[in-house]
Amino acid sequence: MNVIPIVFNAEFLRRIRSRSYIIATVLMMLGIVLLAYLPGLLANQFTSATRGIVLIGAPDLTGRAKALLAKDFDIVATYPSIEGTPTLAFLDKNKKASAAAVLEHGGAGLKVTAYARDVAMFRGAFARDLVPLNVALATKLSPAQIDPLLTVPVAVKSLDTKFADESAANIAKGIAYGFVLVLYISIFINAQNVMTSVAEEKTNRISEILAATIPPSQLLFGKILAAGATGFIQIALWVGTGIALGPIALHSFADDSTTKGSHAAAVASSLPDQLGPAVIAAFLLFFLLGFIQYATMFAAAASLVNRTEDLGSLAAPLYFPVIGGFFLAQIALQFPNANGIVVTSMMPLLSPFVMFTRMTVATVPIWQVVVSIAVNLVSAYLIVIAAGKIYRIGLLMYGKTPKFSQVLATLRA
Amino acid sequence: MLEVTNVRRAFGTTQAVRGVSFSINRGATFGLLGPNGAGKTTTMRMLLGILQPDSGTVTWDGKPIDNATRRRFGYLPEERGLYGKMKVRDQIVYFGRLHGMTDPEVGQRADAWLASLDIAQYATRPTSELSKGNQQKVQVACSAVHDPELLILDEPFSGLDPINADILLANLRALQARGTTLVLSSHQLWQIETLCTEFCIIAAGENRAIGTLEELRRDWPTRIVRVEPRSAALQAVLSATNGARERATTNGALLFDVPATLELPDLVRRLVAAGDLTAFERMEPSLQEIYLRAIGEAA
Repeated sequence: MNVIPIVFNAEFLRRIRSRSYIIATVLMMLGIVLLAYLPGLLANQFTSATRGIVLIGAPDLTGRAKALLAKDFDIVATYPSIEGTPTLAFLDKNKKASAAAVLEHGGAGLKVTAYARDVAMFRGAFARDLVPLNVALATKLSPAQIDPLLTVPVAVKSLDTKFADESAANIAKGIAYGFVLVLYISIFINAQNVMTSVAEEKTNRISEILAATIPPSQLLFGKILAAGATGFIQIALWVGTGIALGPIALHSFADDSTTKGSHAAAVASSLPDQLGPAVIAAFLLFFLLGFIQYATMFAAAASLVNRTEDLGSLAAPLYFPVIGGFFLAQIALQFPNANGIVVTSMMPLLSPFVMFTRMTVATVPIWQVVVSIAVNLVSAYLIVIAAGKIYRIGLLMYGKTPKFSQVLATLRA
Repeated sequence: MLEVTNVRRAFGTTQAVRGVSFSINRGATFGLLGPNGAGKTTTMRMLLGILQPDSGTVTWDGKPIDNATRRRFGYLPEERGLYGKMKVRDQIVYFGRLHGMTDPEVGQRADAWLASLDIAQYATRPTSELSKGNQQKVQVACSAVHDPELLILDEPFSGLDPINADILLANLRALQARGTTLVLSSHQLWQIETLCTEFCIIAAGENRAIGTLEELRRDWPTRIVRVEPRSAALQAVLSATNGARERATTNGALLFDVPATLELPDLVRRLVAAGDLTAFERMEPSLQEIYLRAIGEAA
């Protein structure tokens, strides 16, 4: 009789009802909500605090500057001149403006002296917006003649058939980054949960009764499947929250009447197209392959400890490939077809992160995908066999934590 | 029948079990005795198939013990283990399911065990909230909820107060009556002595003595005789008997070890002839004495 469903059921219920699982799931969802709304809120706070500007200078200068600055700043007042230099009281009197800028003719062009409430917060956009005025004064050309010359139209044509334009490619990078982050966090949390569960049974001495009752391999798989299922639910909630709030967050930028805002609106509307079934399927596949390998290794490591305090030191080396895979995925976002990235996308343990990223942001030759999946399947099989052996022996191994040589001897047995 | 034939098991360079053999008939209650480190737990683990012997065989009804057979067995290890946060009844039901039981039988059996062990009032409490003794009773219920064919109990009485020990004893007798084969290990020999029908004493991983209590006594090389009053004349008769050796004496009586082959009627006649004999008793060696002698702690 197969007891995996019984172990799965008990483990699943135990895990999903556990306080740590509920807290981690909810905290991450809150984090996603914050990530979605906080940048917009902070940006509004930030810009409203730095937008107000008072212009001081000859009306021909302040008038033309006002028009140029309007897209990034609120010109709260203009003065032809003031007595002395602007003070904080002067800024407070003018709708608590963030700065006062004195505009003068200087040399061939424009000379500006800004008196800012906070020098660090005086925005670089101010100088950029006034460039046309500076050029106009220097060349005696009209702004209408200058404006077209300040932008060089570059048409980027993608030779990769995967994306129609640069915007679509950037969206794909964002999706890949988000999914890899979820994969990373989920593997971390759930593989750790498997590890804690095994260690708990070992230290509570339940493992001996279980080993006397059912095959350890079925116990191990029941646990890993339960952790995988709870992990999957977590991911579904997180990704669902992200998909639901992603467009909202982008639309909050879109409310801004700038070019950035209009770009965000375009991204928001095309997001569902980029999140196609192929991306979801690839994510699920690599989540499964990655999770099985890592969870099995963590379970085997946990079976060797006698105190939960020893878990950290024993499992530390197992975190390296998880962290390495995550960082390689960051590189793969920019250079998906670099030699090192191509190689690591076909290496066990790393490829769930790297290959998924490559598949999302670039066109990957099908043979590389097949090799990556095959390598991971073989790797998962070997890890499961090795971990099963360690787990079976480790469950009954009490006393001091075994040496590495003893673990190798167990594997050779 | 459980048949253990010359099993050996080493851990690294340490030979934990070096050729233990015994057989247990179905329905028998078997005491596996030995000092700490004698190899009892390793032997029990081999009976359950948790550990494989390096050599020798363990069979149940003539067949090697496989996964299906093991699920019909029950095991109460010396080191207790329960899921602390799981409710008591859920825990018993979970172990019942692992042993192949299904609803609604598993729930009914769990309730029956809770009642018979006098812990029904804790059914919905997390196990960690129970006292050590009650947790132990939960553990017993988990190991026996499926009415196992063979139940192996390693130190089942340790940590139980006399009342709870009696409750456990009554439940073990009920299992006996239902035909469960019991294998017990305990250092509380007086409890084992009344429960078990057969014994195996092992030390240093080897068989030292095996059989029913009567058989073990029959093989005992001496008998104890108790003689009253404690007089010089009677003591002289006993001391002059070939092979007799005085033990620690009790108030008003003489206690002597005498060879098992000694003709007791002849000894009685000589004691009577010596004078003032008021009481003569032949005492059987206790299990503890047999045990201590078998493991080499007593002459």
